[in-house]
Amino acid sequence: MGDVITALNMIFVPLNLLGLFFGVLVGIAFGCMPGLSVNMGLALLFPLAFTFHGIGGILMLLGIYCGAIYGGSISAILLKTPGTPASVATTLDGYPMATKMGQPGRALGLSTMASTFGGVFSTVCLILLAPQLAKVALQFSKPEYFALAIFGLSIITSVSSGSVIKGIMGGLIGLFLATVGIDDMTGTIRFTLDTTYLLGGVSFIPVLIGVFAFAQVLGSIEEYYHHERSEQHMLIDRVLPSLADIKRVFTTLLRSSAIGTFIGCVPGTGGDIASFVSYDQAKRWSRHGSNFGNGEPEGIVASEAGNNAVSGGAFIPVLTLGIPGDGATAIMMGALMVQGLQPGPLLFVEKAPDVYAIFIGLLLANLIMGLMGFSLIRLFTKVVNVPIHILLPIIVMMTFVGTYSYNNSVNDVYLMVVSGFIGYFLNKLGFSMSAIIIGIILGGMAEQNFVGSLIMSDGSFSIFYERPLCLFFLAAAALSLLSPVLGRLFKKA
Amino acid sequence: MNNMTVCNYIVGLAGAVIGGLIMLAAAEFPLSFTENGPGPGFWPFSLGCALLAAAVGLLLYTFSNKTDLSGQRVNLTTTANKRVYMMMGLVVIFCALMNLLGFYPAAALLIAAVMRLMDYRNKKVIALTAALTLVFIYLVFGLLLHTSMPQSVFLE
Repeated sequence: MGDVITALNMIFVPLNLLGLFFGVLVGIAFGCMPGLSVNMGLALLFPLAFTFHGIGGILMLLGIYCGAIYGGSISAILLKTPGTPASVATTLDGYPMATKMGQPGRALGLSTMASTFGGVFSTVCLILLAPQLAKVALQFSKPEYFALAIFGLSIITSVSSGSVIKGIMGGLIGLFLATVGIDDMTGTIRFTLDTTYLLGGVSFIPVLIGVFAFAQVLGSIEEYYHHERSEQHMLIDRVLPSLADIKRVFTTLLRSSAIGTFIGCVPGTGGDIASFVSYDQAKRWSRHGSNFGNGEPEGIVASEAGNNAVSGGAFIPVLTLGIPGDGATAIMMGALMVQGLQPGPLLFVEKAPDVYAIFIGLLLANLIMGLMGFSLIRLFTKVVNVPIHILLPIIVMMTFVGTYSYNNSVNDVYLMVVSGFIGYFLNKLGFSMSAIIIGIILGGMAEQNFVGSLIMSDGSFSIFYERPLCLFFLAAAALSLLSPVLGRLFKKA
Repeated sequence: MNNMTVCNYIVGLAGAVIGGLIMLAAAEFPLSFTENGPGPGFWPFSLGCALLAAAVGLLLYTFSNKTDLSGQRVNLTTTANKRVYMMMGLVVIFCALMNLLGFYPAAALLIAAVMRLMDYRNKKVIALTAALTLVFIYLVFGLLLHTSMPQSVFLE
């Protein structure tokens, strides 16, 4: 209880609350503008997060994370252009309700309610499940952590990338980049090209902003060539859902939130998968199944509750095992590490108030998101119309300023630009940026635990297959990497 | 380079070369096992081997699926791509100008150039966007966060 009170004291500081509100506001704005993404918002404001003392910056990033997932639904409903991939399923019923049925306010209200409910539901699951899982994970030793890092990386590369082999290559490049600088185990200086700039390793933040924000700006410039973005001028009526609507969608709301939370727990998945699975299940179980695709309230609710419920679920492996499930949680994990909070089961023992602050922060972020969604929806519908030719130059400048301000280093800016250029081409060639970033983040953990395990076993590799849990994670990693080949074999059989 | 087969061959070869280079660079550090565990070169050497193996895997996969992959187009030479390359050029010029003129003048020029690149011609809006963006950056980063943006070499 003492830890919870300390956590509340950490959060209820005016500046920290301001950070949380600002984060949610910026997150919704980022989410609702097509062409911008959750990862871009997090990467761009990542350096700003460290101007807050203590947990404030993390709260801001939590706000962006929750807000951006929800924000994607606004343009999905009004423009039929999802702001984020997680909101693609929302267009199926949201847009018809807004246009054919002439009820944009009702559609936005249902999506706001579902997003808030899904987010809160998954945060409650996080609060209940994470400490229990952390207790189990406390029994892990170095071999298990090494196996876990490999498992996390393998499942992400196999699911998130278009090609498993390219996913593996991206992950390996990330792991290699993590070896640059002074080796933590022996103090040896590795791969620094005789520069002092690389002594501390490849700076994570410029690479992050480069591959997630700058590369995406380049992609957007290509995408919006000769592509006029449609504008909406709908009149938003009542946004609060009616009691009849709530009754109609309540079961779907619960089911989709549970599905989203479960999918969020699985590394390598994300809001897009959760929303489609939730939508599909809602259609299957609904009494109004034939109305799906024509503005069915349950369709909107299923998709939005599903994708927002991912937020809490995705934090379960991050906080308890130190395994990020996707690019966004990798950025969040990076932010925690920069703040001196090493995700993993020990975090629950050594920094319990910080963990509770994250739990409460996520809960508050979802509630503020709902509050803002209902009260400021008319403002956000205006944001949707900001022209891309004004938006992109501003974002380009923010990538430069954000990168520079973190260390006051022009070299960081050059690294960001190079990462962005490379990221643009890698994106086109089907590489997963998330795999590279997660490789960089997990690289240190993987190497240290690999070396530590071999010291424990006097150099014998048998330690990795004699311990059941370690063997389980490594076998699961091998299975996930071989899944495309195995899938093809099964099909042939 | 318009289809995935060609791209994959190039990526596979590049990956194999990078993997080989990592192995060579890692081999300069001790690899053998001591009481402190494997040498500092062992882990990166293993990563280089794995990258080389993955690159060879990609080449083999591409060779055996070249008919399917040839149907996947990778646009790298369209007009839209050329606009991206022009954007890259502008950013490189910006980086050079940032040192020469300082951040704020270079940023104003970049914003205007990017908007022109995106076929936007209204000079008033371009000037207003540049001015407001720079004022925002100055207020938030310069005054509030005390970030000293790069200055012109002539002023240093």
